[in-house]
Amino acid sequence: MKRQFVFTMFGAIFLILAGVIMAGSARPADTAMAPAIGATIEDFSLPDTDGKNHALSSLKGKNGTVLIFISVQCPISNGYNDRMAKLAADYNARGITVVGINSNKSESAADVKAHAAEKHLDFTILKDPGNKIADLLGAQHTPEAYYLDANNKLLYHGRIDSSVNPAQVQSNDLREALDEALAGKPIQKTTSLAFGCSIKRV
Amino acid sequence: MRRILPFILTIGAVTSSFAIPALSAGSGIVATAAPGAGGAAGWTTQAKAAKAAPIELVDLAGIKKLIAGDKRAKPLLVNFWATWCDPCRDEFPDLVQVDHDYRSKGLDFIAISLDDAADIKTAVPQFLSQVKATMPVYVLNVADPEPVILAVDKDWGGALPATFLYNSQGKVVFRHYGRVNTAELREAIEKLVGSKQ
Repeated sequence: MKRQFVFTMFGAIFLILAGVIMAGSARPADTAMAPAIGATIEDFSLPDTDGKNHALSSLKGKNGTVLIFISVQCPISNGYNDRMAKLAADYNARGITVVGINSNKSESAADVKAHAAEKHLDFTILKDPGNKIADLLGAQHTPEAYYLDANNKLLYHGRIDSSVNPAQVQSNDLREALDEALAGKPIQKTTSLAFGCSIKRV
Repeated sequence: MRRILPFILTIGAVTSSFAIPALSAGSGIVATAAPGAGGAAGWTTQAKAAKAAPIELVDLAGIKKLIAGDKRAKPLLVNFWATWCDPCRDEFPDLVQVDHDYRSKGLDFIAISLDDAADIKTAVPQFLSQVKATMPVYVLNVADPEPVILAVDKDWGGALPATFLYNSQGKVVFRHYGRVNTAELREAIEKLVGSKQ
């Protein structure tokens, strides 16, 4: 009787597991999952556009870091150039460092450097060879932002704001999250979505 | 497991031969773009005469109506694209061919452009004409993209281009972000349409 019960339980567990696995099977293998809000991101190092390595721990401000996956060619990412430069200036003064990450295999470090100079992106931009950090953070497209507090705890993941057209922005999600965190308040909207250009992975 | 899944899903994806033309049901805003009958040779003749379907603006409610599984009896392919998106432009001729090959076998296909609504009479039709597209095309017109992204697929972060294949129950059985792998897409479609059912 006991053995029959064990078999039945095994069968039930197998069916549940099979269901769970199949439910997730439509997800393409190359789509990495983003860490959950509240997860701690391990320190990592990436080269800047001159090939010099920077650890996240060496870049972060006293109130943390905003990582933004960006692109040279993506019109949506480029639509945010001015807003990203302003964000970096505004929040650097408040102890949050803004760092750009370019994970596109189709854009070289030289491309990224020239683009940053042309578009006045006056913040550190790191190149992510092999899209390892894009995979680590589950980044799908550009621009896509992450806010890590001073302990590298992920507090916000998503868009910069609700519209690539500055005149149509209804919700400044990233700035609101940063302001709430700086005020010591819980972040109301910890994730958000917008359209972007898919990251060109290896 | 990914190989087994389509077989299982196929069981649930049987479409009725007397189904109501899916996208016209209820919404009243979609014109069928390509002829639904005829073999390959017949299609070639018709394609030359085929007129591109009108391009319309669509909002969140419209998107929900278009993809609603309970209003549909056919599988549905949805592609999000824009004229300013290079990989979107790159893959579009393949998708036009997919439309040509599978619409007569029971696949509905809509393309949703993220171009500016102001481009509905210029850049969008110019590109569609270049690639000889005849599937229904919509230009998204929403203030906030987030509810649309969530309505289309909860696993989608908004990356473009994006291609989703829904079975006739409205479940996503194939999704791809970035330039689509046409062979993989065709394999997924084959499980849902045509003689294999």
